[in-house]
Amino acid sequence: MANILVFAESRGTDLRKVAGEAVSVARRLADASGGGEVHALLAGPPGIAQKADVLGRYGADVVLVMEHTALATFARESIAATLAARAKAASYRAIVLGFSAQGRDLGPRLAARLDAPIASDVIDVQVAGDALTVKHPAYANKVVVTLTVTGSPAIVSIRPAAITATESPRTARVETIQPGTDPAASRVKVTQVVEGAKGRPDLADAPVIVAGGRGLKAPENFKLVEELADAFGNAAVGATRAVTDEGWRPHADQIGQTGRQVSPQLYVAVGISGAIQHLAGMRTSKTIVAINKDKEAPIFKVADYGIVGDVLEVVPALTSAVREAKKGH
Amino acid sequence: MKIAVCIKRTPDSETRFRIGASGGAIDEAGVKFDMDDFASYAVEVALQMKEKAGSGEVVVVALGPDNVQETLRKAMSMGADRAIQLKADAVPFDGLAVAKALAAELKAGGFDLVLFGKHAFDTSAGVVGTATAELLDFPCVTAVSKLEIANGKGTARRELEGAAEMVEFALPAVVTIDEGIARPRYPSLKGIMAAKKKPLESKPAQLGPVRVAVKGMALPPDRPPGRIIGEGTAAIPELVKLLQTEAKVL
Amino acid sequence: MTAQSVVFLFVLAIAAGIFALNVQRLVSYLKLGVAEDRTDRPWARLSNVLQIGIAQTKILREPIAGIMHATIFWGFIVLTAGTVEIFIQGAWSGFSYERVLWHPLYALYAASQDAFAVFVLAAVAFAFYRRLVLHPRRLEGDRIEHLDAYVILGMIAGLMITLLLANAFLSVVQPDAVGPEKFVSRGLAAPFANVSARSAFYAYRTFWWAHVFLVLIFLNYLPYSKHLHVVSSLINVYFSNTSWKGERAVMRPMDLEAETESFGAADVEQLTWKNLLDGYSCTECGRCTAACPANLTGKVLSPRKIVVNTRQRLMEKGPAATGDGMAFLGSRLVHGENHEAAESLGNGATHRLLDGYITEEELWQCTSCRACVQECPVSIDQLDIINQMRRNLVLSESRFPAEIQPAFEALERNGAPWAFDAADRARWADGLAIPTMAELTERGERPDVLFWVGCMGSFDDRAKKITVAFARILQACGIRFAILGQEEHCHGDPARRMGNEYLYQMLAKDTIDTLNRYAVTTVVTSCPHCFHQIGNEFPQLGGNYEVIHHSTYIDRLLQQELVPLRTDEGRRLTVAYHDSCYLGRYNDIYDAPRETLRRALPVVNLVEPPRARDRGLCCGAGGGRMWMEERQGKRINIERTEELLATGAETIAVACPFCMTMMSDGVKAKESSVPVLDIAEVVASQLSAT
Repeated sequence: MANILVFAESRGTDLRKVAGEAVSVARRLADASGGGEVHALLAGPPGIAQKADVLGRYGADVVLVMEHTALATFARESIAATLAARAKAASYRAIVLGFSAQGRDLGPRLAARLDAPIASDVIDVQVAGDALTVKHPAYANKVVVTLTVTGSPAIVSIRPAAITATESPRTARVETIQPGTDPAASRVKVTQVVEGAKGRPDLADAPVIVAGGRGLKAPENFKLVEELADAFGNAAVGATRAVTDEGWRPHADQIGQTGRQVSPQLYVAVGISGAIQHLAGMRTSKTIVAINKDKEAPIFKVADYGIVGDVLEVVPALTSAVREAKKGH
Repeated sequence: MKIAVCIKRTPDSETRFRIGASGGAIDEAGVKFDMDDFASYAVEVALQMKEKAGSGEVVVVALGPDNVQETLRKAMSMGADRAIQLKADAVPFDGLAVAKALAAELKAGGFDLVLFGKHAFDTSAGVVGTATAELLDFPCVTAVSKLEIANGKGTARRELEGAAEMVEFALPAVVTIDEGIARPRYPSLKGIMAAKKKPLESKPAQLGPVRVAVKGMALPPDRPPGRIIGEGTAAIPELVKLLQTEAKVL
Repeated sequence: MTAQSVVFLFVLAIAAGIFALNVQRLVSYLKLGVAEDRTDRPWARLSNVLQIGIAQTKILREPIAGIMHATIFWGFIVLTAGTVEIFIQGAWSGFSYERVLWHPLYALYAASQDAFAVFVLAAVAFAFYRRLVLHPRRLEGDRIEHLDAYVILGMIAGLMITLLLANAFLSVVQPDAVGPEKFVSRGLAAPFANVSARSAFYAYRTFWWAHVFLVLIFLNYLPYSKHLHVVSSLINVYFSNTSWKGERAVMRPMDLEAETESFGAADVEQLTWKNLLDGYSCTECGRCTAACPANLTGKVLSPRKIVVNTRQRLMEKGPAATGDGMAFLGSRLVHGENHEAAESLGNGATHRLLDGYITEEELWQCTSCRACVQECPVSIDQLDIINQMRRNLVLSESRFPAEIQPAFEALERNGAPWAFDAADRARWADGLAIPTMAELTERGERPDVLFWVGCMGSFDDRAKKITVAFARILQACGIRFAILGQEEHCHGDPARRMGNEYLYQMLAKDTIDTLNRYAVTTVVTSCPHCFHQIGNEFPQLGGNYEVIHHSTYIDRLLQQELVPLRTDEGRRLTVAYHDSCYLGRYNDIYDAPRETLRRALPVVNLVEPPRARDRGLCCGAGGGRMWMEERQGKRINIERTEELLATGAETIAVACPFCMTMMSDGVKAKESSVPVLDIAEVVASQLSAT
């Protein structure tokens, strides 16, 4: 029997999607290790405690709540200290967290503090006796590496949106946990959090992504991409490197080998030729639609459905059609 | 200002990989190796900082067998002042093991700033930089897209999902560098010639125990071929139908 | 010895002395440049002097201005004999060739003097008219000075007038001293026939001395004028390497082992004495700039300016560097402007030729098409200066357009100037049963010829079709050929063109190793850049192979009737062939591609654009510009496409994958549906079905 510790990531008083995925994975690991408890750390500003039952839905037995005003922003050192102290005090088989921007920051800190092995950006975890076997897409998603992680606790950082969160509902016990170090006294002080475009989900969370490339010809035409995203309702907007290099879109929107790697349900590539570097960022999408003037464009080789045509004509028409289709829902 | 940059020798990111016969490593035949992209951004950042300050030292460190010396020389041809090779037969996948070796070397170095790439292309794990920082007990800022150092203090911007975080910290510190912050300079022939004479020290690496090991490697499954369903706006009704019925995403 | 002779000799001594000092000074400035040996091939060099210099072949490429200049030039040569006669007269009063020449010869000589004096005068009058009224475009721009030209023209006119009038008045004073052959002079004397002998004598003496003074002033004006070319141009043509029949234009070799702080040229002392002599010889005629594809599409690059700047900088630096005490004159020694250049570099950077006169922007705009070198009547090599300065920018300072860094990096990592996977190099050959050298060697066989595909032909989707077309032709003719397959990588020419000699030599030497390992002797390729590099420039690094461009190769196959063509003649197609610079101006290959088209399409109607063959306008991709952004003026490929489309052709034919890309883009941009085809594709489409 082995307990699993989870870092349930939140931002402000909102739980992040990957938190549920992490709890879900922890639940499976616990069950696969002869049954055990899943303890999830929920850290945030006052009010975060309300999210405890969401964690319970995904399988958390215990929610360790840490509320502090200074936790409105990511207090990386304090959270690391808290988790480490907890892991030293109690015995855990594994510590699970999401490989998000903050999770990437947190995971290795824990590894160093606990002298624990860490596997990052994992898309599959299995218990293999005393070890864990994980799968991780390496070489910019070009090679899937299977790793053996030996040692306990083992830290596993899961790729967001790669492992579907499954429910395993129970009523979680809520415990208050004291911060390992003062959250307000971090050597890395967050002075400001600049919000991105409101009203649209982030590329990591969005079920639909509409991305635009050079084929749009001019930055003004990106509004067609945005309108299509709006028509889908819950879509994020992405861009190719060509377009972010030109300054049409912020660098944070770039999808590709050196940008964001995404895996939505639906990826609509507008005016994108499909260079290998871009494909590396989105090829794991469930369904890919491509619209491009050039029928020889490489994107059509990976797209499930392709339309050859002028994006400036096709996209507005598609936007109307999607709106119509959505009306029926 | 004394800056250390930890770099890695990785395969060219454009390579189409094949799995080797053992099934546990990539087939290196015909694969070109070079400095990891993110590491090269870190080197460029360090060089620009030194130039802006007007003085200082940039030391590059790499762990691995002798073939990393070529990568260290490349960093010196860009302008780094000296290089340290932590000699090891192979670079383990276990980032913490590597971090221990680096921390042991960097501890007494008196560095104001230690830079890493945010992750390396091959392992794509992003462990070594942050773990090294913890072992050195330095403040650590990861994946910065903007960085300013002045008067022993640093400010940086980190990209989050749908937002960005501005942070402040004091030196000495460890910072891992994201893409977009600087374009690595192309070494001039003059720089290449000069690099041949710069000091490169080689010493055994004090690796930690390796507890994350490669069991196997495989290429990702190919997507089934798709199809072009039509041309122009005429194809849209068909597309919508397929998205609704076949793909079930609409 | 009369008093006059003494005075004359004194004046001559002074004038000659000043001239000699100036020549010595100018020569000493030349010595500031890097030494190089150009004493080889004296007969070939002499032949160039006779053709380009004496026969004015390049000048005459422009018919009207050409005749005008040739007249003045030939007149100058013919009248020099007369000038010598006059000068001997100065020392030895009353001397005349009549005393020493066989009479008919003297008569011919005498007539020639008068005749050419008139011709030259007429040419000068036309020259004035041209500059003042017609304002030809190439005589504008680059801040060249017209004053210099007017002074020279005025002096030449003065020389002719004083000569004729001197002879006219002499014929009045001493009728038998001026024979009937000098009919002009005699004719001019008519109004003065009744003037007193004394007046006539003084008039004669006045005009005689005026003529002598004009000669001496003219002579001493030369070092300060663009007319210095009078002294230096024939010498410049002699020492030039730009016109070798049967030998091709190669880039200057570079020894990278040499212990040196600096690579390439940033200032005049890093150029060779020949580059500096080019500076002396430039007449600012502007033919180079008028032919430059960059300049004529509105870019700042002007080959003339590059050469004029070189001279200006030498004049600026020469006095201080040689310590000849002329520094007080500063850059006033140079005709023309740009002294402001000395003040323009406000950022404290060193004032030098690079940046101070010639900007990075200009240097990178060059497509290396060689039109400038082709046109220059005094055999200046503008491209040599540009290339040496590019080498400095890249090798010493790592300064180059940001967009070419990925090309350099890809060449280093990938063996190709783009980020393609090296493993995909021979994919075009899938299913075509083409053996690689490795496979053949394993079987103990050798091919007749190695087909060098090149990076465009291996990776670019459009160019791959050219590769396949050519391969099909070879197979249809039963040629035993092989490819290097994945052992092929870029020979480094793009790097070399962009100034990165270090990267180039690495790639080239490795390629030579591979070719030598397979004991390759004969290579055929469909890319003119590969053709030129491997065939003409590899010998600098020890690689000697016979390389044939596919246009020549296919032409031979067609001539030998080895190509199985369809019997039907097809419909009459109007085709405009676009000359590739690296085939044409670099290698004199103009006919093979055209003949290939004619033989393959018997009823083809070949139309020529206005700028064709050695006047062909570049597509814009050479000189590494394929990898650079065009940031100023009109796109060169659009300019050329418009010209080709204006011929009314139904098809545009090319023989180079770069031209293919540029013309295809151009046609698309003009929203035309005229197809662009490689000649191999045209021939392949005519292969019979079997």
